[in-house]
Amino acid sequence: MRLKRIFSMAWENMKQRRLRTFLTTLGVVIGITAIIALASLGEGFRISITERMEQGFELDVLTLIPGTLFAGMREPFNDTEVANVRNVSNVSAATPVMQIGSVKLYNGDKNVTAFVGAAVNLTEFAEIVFPHRFRFEEGEIPEQIKNNTMIIGYKVNYPNETEVAFAHPNDNVTMTMAIPTATPPIQNQSFTVAGTLRKTGTAGLTSFDYWVFIPLETARKFYGNVTDLIFVKVSDPELSETIAEDIENLFPLYRLTVLVPLSFIRQVNSILNMVEIFLTSIASIALLVAGIGIMNIMTVSVMERTREIGILKAIGAKSRTILTMFLAEAALIGLVGSITGVPAGYGISHVLSYVLSGFATSQQNHVFQRPEVERATIVPIFSWQWAIVAVIFGIAICILFGLYPARKAAKLDPVEALRYE
Amino acid sequence: MTALLEAKEIKKTYRMGKVLVPALQGVTFDVEEGEFVAVFGPSGSGKSTLLHLLGGLDRPDEGEVFVDGIGFSTLNDNALADVRLRKIGFVFQFFNLLPRLTALRNVELPLTLADVPDRDSIKKAEDMLKLVGLGDRMNHRPSEMSGGEQQRVAIARALINDPKIVLADEPTGNLDTSTGGEIVQLMKRLNEEKGQTFVVVTHDPAIAETADRILYLKDGLIQKVKGRRGRP
Repeated sequence: MRLKRIFSMAWENMKQRRLRTFLTTLGVVIGITAIIALASLGEGFRISITERMEQGFELDVLTLIPGTLFAGMREPFNDTEVANVRNVSNVSAATPVMQIGSVKLYNGDKNVTAFVGAAVNLTEFAEIVFPHRFRFEEGEIPEQIKNNTMIIGYKVNYPNETEVAFAHPNDNVTMTMAIPTATPPIQNQSFTVAGTLRKTGTAGLTSFDYWVFIPLETARKFYGNVTDLIFVKVSDPELSETIAEDIENLFPLYRLTVLVPLSFIRQVNSILNMVEIFLTSIASIALLVAGIGIMNIMTVSVMERTREIGILKAIGAKSRTILTMFLAEAALIGLVGSITGVPAGYGISHVLSYVLSGFATSQQNHVFQRPEVERATIVPIFSWQWAIVAVIFGIAICILFGLYPARKAAKLDPVEALRYE
Repeated sequence: MTALLEAKEIKKTYRMGKVLVPALQGVTFDVEEGEFVAVFGPSGSGKSTLLHLLGGLDRPDEGEVFVDGIGFSTLNDNALADVRLRKIGFVFQFFNLLPRLTALRNVELPLTLADVPDRDSIKKAEDMLKLVGLGDRMNHRPSEMSGGEQQRVAIARALINDPKIVLADEPTGNLDTSTGGEIVQLMKRLNEEKGQTFVVVTHDPAIAETADRILYLKDGLIQKVKGRRGRP
């Protein structure tokens, strides 16, 4: 008997038992819906997190810290070491940073505290290493950097979200610095503001909002040629792990720590992958339950149709034909159920995404008090690949669970089946 | 001339729990093409068992059944199903139509199983229903038809694949006398006009009277044979 006819007969059979077919199929729909909803939401979640991390972590920037957390000397880097780092292949820039610490700034009768006074090669730092962070509210990096040039971070300029700026370009600002080697140890130094920065937010490891920048040469007059941090710009983020290794090989053991943002993201990604797999497996349980439902219903159906099976066998249906007829019903349930479930799951994932996003945002606002973090949006990802896999999976589960009752039907003895009331 | 159907020393014993019930204890006979044979006997004589074995629905413990020269013991279940499909037609006491299908679909079913294309099979089923006098009831379901009509549908279904032989198990057993008589007349007409071979198991004397030959079955054995065309 041709497969096409078997399927059309199976379809007729299912139409005769509408409610039962509907309920059995509903189980499959729910299973596939759950799988697709969690998978597309999970993938959307993963991509959203990864994107945020990539934005925040600046994948093409490595941070070099002297010493390690547990061992080694914490001594600052020297110029030779900086030069060596700069010479590593695929390193496009290596900017030494001197951290002055907390400083006080005065502008007329206004004064503010900057958490970190940092001294850098301003041009390289702003234009090559962190081009995305140096967006100016007013002013810019001057072409000729003078000894007294200063760039002010957003939170320094607007402490506690005040509306009046602390300083504008060309204002003269006095910075009070603690210099242990000088007499007296507190020194005032005068700077001219070249630019004020826009809000960049806390991204990755640092927030430049709380920083104030001055030229490295100026700071070195007071503190000597020390380097507390080196920011390394790499030509390709994908190479960052290899480059980090190359850099580590330049130094003795425990001399430095290289922070590679890509590694963080890899870690987080693999965790998120696991979460995704976990969620999808849980959803699969729903499909499994649906499969058992199919097995149950089909077993009952085989019993009810024993006589019919007997008749079919008597008039010449082969066991294989009977088997195929029942499997065709299971497959059709799987097909209809999963084809319905895929769009339903995708739809549900959007609803869930909306609800979860709202929840996440309210949590952020109340707990972390970080208004600069934009609303967390998770856009569910639809993938044809998953859709196809889900449909195949749905059909396979149905056929698998239909196999037992279908075999039972196929094996029925025709004489006994005809006698069945 | 070789027989169309041959039963050779067939034996069948059923096991009911721990008790062995001998149903057939060595039955031998043959049926020639175009014959109308009645197997007559009281209930429990093994009539139905004999019919199941002749139709390849069940296999004998001993002995052999040949239809059209083919020994059933040489066939596997699939091949036997194919013999049932193409060479044998069944008519049952309780009609055994598929309740969800219309008369037309019921008659068409063996053609579908035999992979006859839809277009041909519908035409053929319609012609067959007209032949048994149900030209105007084709799209009725069994529940919408009388017992006599249902049995006509069953006969049409049995004949649809042009079988060598039709096996009928108490075809009038579930019908009133006059309707039963009509069914017997129908079978007789098909036998005479188309030369269709029939083996009918019955305890209805009306059928036995019309048969060419009557085999009297009792306690699993043929007790006597009576018939006009019967061979010694």
